[in-house]
Amino acid sequence: MNQAERACQELQAMDELAAKSSLIHRIGAGSKLLVTILYIVTVVSFSKYDIFGLFVMVLYPVIGYQFALIPVRTCFYKLRVVMPLVCAVGLLNPFFDKQIILTIGGVGVSGGVISMLTLMMKGVFCLMASFLLIATTSIESICAVLRRIHCPKILTSLLLLTFRYVSVLLEEVSVMTQAYHLRAPGQKGIHISAWGSFLGQLLLRSMDRATALYESMELRGFHGEFYYAAGEKGARYSWLYALGWAALFALARLVNLPALLGTLFA
Amino acid sequence: MLQFEHVSFSYRDAPVLQDVSFFVDAGERVGLIGANGAGKSTLMKTALGLLTCDGTITVDGVVVQPKNLPTVRQALGYVLQDSDNQLFMPTVLEDMIFGPINYGVPRAQAEERADAVLQQLGISHLKHRHNHSLSGGEKRLAAIATILTMEPKAMLMDEPSTALDPKNRRRLIHTLNAMHVTKLIASHDLDLVLETCDRVILLSHGQVVADGKAKEILRDKALLEANDLELPFCLTEPPK
Repeated sequence: MNQAERACQELQAMDELAAKSSLIHRIGAGSKLLVTILYIVTVVSFSKYDIFGLFVMVLYPVIGYQFALIPVRTCFYKLRVVMPLVCAVGLLNPFFDKQIILTIGGVGVSGGVISMLTLMMKGVFCLMASFLLIATTSIESICAVLRRIHCPKILTSLLLLTFRYVSVLLEEVSVMTQAYHLRAPGQKGIHISAWGSFLGQLLLRSMDRATALYESMELRGFHGEFYYAAGEKGARYSWLYALGWAALFALARLVNLPALLGTLFA
Repeated sequence: MLQFEHVSFSYRDAPVLQDVSFFVDAGERVGLIGANGAGKSTLMKTALGLLTCDGTITVDGVVVQPKNLPTVRQALGYVLQDSDNQLFMPTVLEDMIFGPINYGVPRAQAEERADAVLQQLGISHLKHRHNHSLSGGEKRLAAIATILTMEPKAMLMDEPSTALDPKNRRRLIHTLNAMHVTKLIASHDLDLVLETCDRVILLSHGQVVADGKAKEILRDKALLEANDLELPFCLTEPPK
């Protein structure tokens, strides 16, 4: 199996995850989208030195994954390419901000180290929350919600079709790579001399397939609206979910919960 | 039901269809045969308004033109040659209800229709399966199911037996024969055409060269060979 085929299977596995049935899957896409946006805004709003306040925010993804019956490792595995990049943000902070702002067991910790860790945590938490959303909600439902909040049709169609066409492109890459390697045994990768025609062919073939797919959608009445996306099931329960999390995020942002907990046991 | 009057179409300067005229009555089962490049797929695409042609095409009394396309496409179901291009939703059920819901059928009713079609085709077990996990034969039946759920007045099928093994091909023939809807089947599989169609239209270089009873045209060796085709396998004499 080549890399493109593996990538294609991973995309298909995302569809399978989104089609599962769990408490989180059954919540309306609108509520989940709102909670995710609120979560990201709240996480990003923490100050760069507020690492302890930020710790509380791990609750949302951890609880979410438990109730969605998705192992947290699935998220880290799927996001293995992006995670290191997110973690790399702020790596230089310790060199620029050397002021000691915390002492743990007699060891001073600089503001740079704290802000680096905070940035890493923010990035990882936001990715986990975004992954939770797409692993529990179909792309059609997300687009349907975006349309309901008057997101331009062109944007939602673009989002949906990009998601669908990525797998078409990957399938074509996979077939072409396989055909190439069968006639170029022992060769590692695709020779640079073949890249021009390979990319040209790939473009033409994927355009043909994308056109056929779009025509097939058009013939069955698709004009950029997502009437066919699953509707909001259990609306009251979904909005309670959103309100509950919104309240918790506000509490976590306004009250230093770890410090409060600490004083309880002091 | 389906009328082509002096239909012509060219890709740039190369003529693909030249003055094609014929009529398909409601309930008829018509085979569209011809060698590669004869214009079979193009003819179907013009009927669906995917390609703009000269001449007039009428579907159930409605002229094919941009403002009528939703009506035309609701009346005509099109089964593509490659089922992978037809199935774009995650599961078979979602793919089946996609069309009806877009045409205003309530979700519950669309799901009822889907259940009935799945039962009719004997593929109820595929209802919640993910499209990418289906075999070639299952994909073909699922693709047909997505069109039948729309309850079209006529079905256009482009090479329906491509890439099917003998068992699935036989199953497809049974399915096609059990479907009581107007059918226009474009195929190189002349045995399939012989078993599923009463009438055959032979296209060659974009022109209708023969139009008549399937049993007569498909037995006419000279006519078929003159148009780069061969007798159906079941009509050839076994080697001595």
